[in-house]
Amino acid sequence: MDQSSGNALTDPSPEQLIDLIARSQDKTAFTILFDAYAPRVKYFLIRNGASSASADELAQEALLTVWRKAHYFSADRGTASSWIFTIARNLRIDETRRDKRAQLYAMVGEFDDIDPDRPDELVSATEHAKRVRSAMTQLPDDQLEVVKWSFVEGAAHSEIAERLGLPLGTVKSRLRLAMRRMRKSLEDLA
Amino acid sequence: MTIVHHPSEETLVTFVAGSLCEGNSLVVATHLAHCNECRSAIRDMTELAGGILEQGDVTEITEATRNAALDKLDDTPIEARPDPIAMAPADRPLAPLSIYEGGKWQWVGPGVYRQFIDVPNDTGTRVFMLKAAPGTRLPDHRHVGTEWTCILKGAFRHDHGRFGAGDFDEADGRHDHNPFVEEGEACICLVALNGHVEMTGWLGRLIQPFVRL
Ligand SMILES: [Zn+2]
Repeated sequence: MDQSSGNALTDPSPEQLIDLIARSQDKTAFTILFDAYAPRVKYFLIRNGASSASADELAQEALLTVWRKAHYFSADRGTASSWIFTIARNLRIDETRRDKRAQLYAMVGEFDDIDPDRPDELVSATEHAKRVRSAMTQLPDDQLEVVKWSFVEGAAHSEIAERLGLPLGTVKSRLRLAMRRMRKSLEDLA
Repeated sequence: MTIVHHPSEETLVTFVAGSLCEGNSLVVATHLAHCNECRSAIRDMTELAGGILEQGDVTEITEATRNAALDKLDDTPIEARPDPIAMAPADRPLAPLSIYEGGKWQWVGPGVYRQFIDVPNDTGTRVFMLKAAPGTRLPDHRHVGTEWTCILKGAFRHDHGRFGAGDFDEADGRHDHNPFVEEGEACICLVALNGHVEMTGWLGRLIQPFVRL
């Protein structure tokens, strides 16, 4: 498998691999997931400000969390990638601050479980994820850049403004435009 | 309930990215407990973040770490997922707040009480609930810094609109004129304040020594 080219897992899909772990503690499935995601999580954590050593450790911890919590994943709520993103984000928060934000995120997620009448369930989560990805590729470069900075670096808007040499208002409006455009194209598809 | 005022897109992105401080995250989560629309936006944004992770660059994992991870599997049990806690829809709005301890209600001004919520404030954000009697008129005031509010009960109005249960008011560096609590029931809201509130106008200057927010 060539990781450096940025290819995502397709066959079996990461969602199927997590399912295999949950059903039969499949170590081969774990190894494939580990090789595909741990280096991405590590990159994310380093960009997010973790040292190389601690990013190595946390990336390992993130994938072990995937193993431990495999039953918590449900493919009808989102893709494996988005779930692994939240695991990495929460580990990073825990490492730097140890506060109760992970509990807040989990609680907001639970509201979805007990709230089945959401309109976007008309399409399957995988289909929905595909649409989000395609909306993402259609964002203008300057908007995508600000979106990436926000999610990957977890940077404050003022920090993004400083590092990109842009006025704060421009960063905020690009972000806002990007989100509106994405939401709009999802609505058009629904 | 009909929600009219939502957090800005930037605020939701920052919440998903994990870069809002805990106090601000609590007020946003409280809005999300009320608002299907923003929860759907959050799901899209999380999916977007997943896409960025999946298509982003990689940093090689050391061989030792990889081996250590595989070695740990035998000692790492796979957890059973507990059934989701049954929660009546009516209990939902206060669920995020229930994670935290609250202090005692304190008198801060005529008809106005405040209760601090025990969120670490090392980032400079103070979190409290504010309760104001029906019909309370507040002086014009200016928000110096950021002040985010989610209304839990009752409603207030100022020149930027009407804010009822579930509404989110992002009053950053803004001037509010003519604020008042609607008649009927007391208004209770959850506030994360980073900075302070300055009372303006003659009435404000008169009561500023008493109303410390
Ligand atoms: Zn909303």
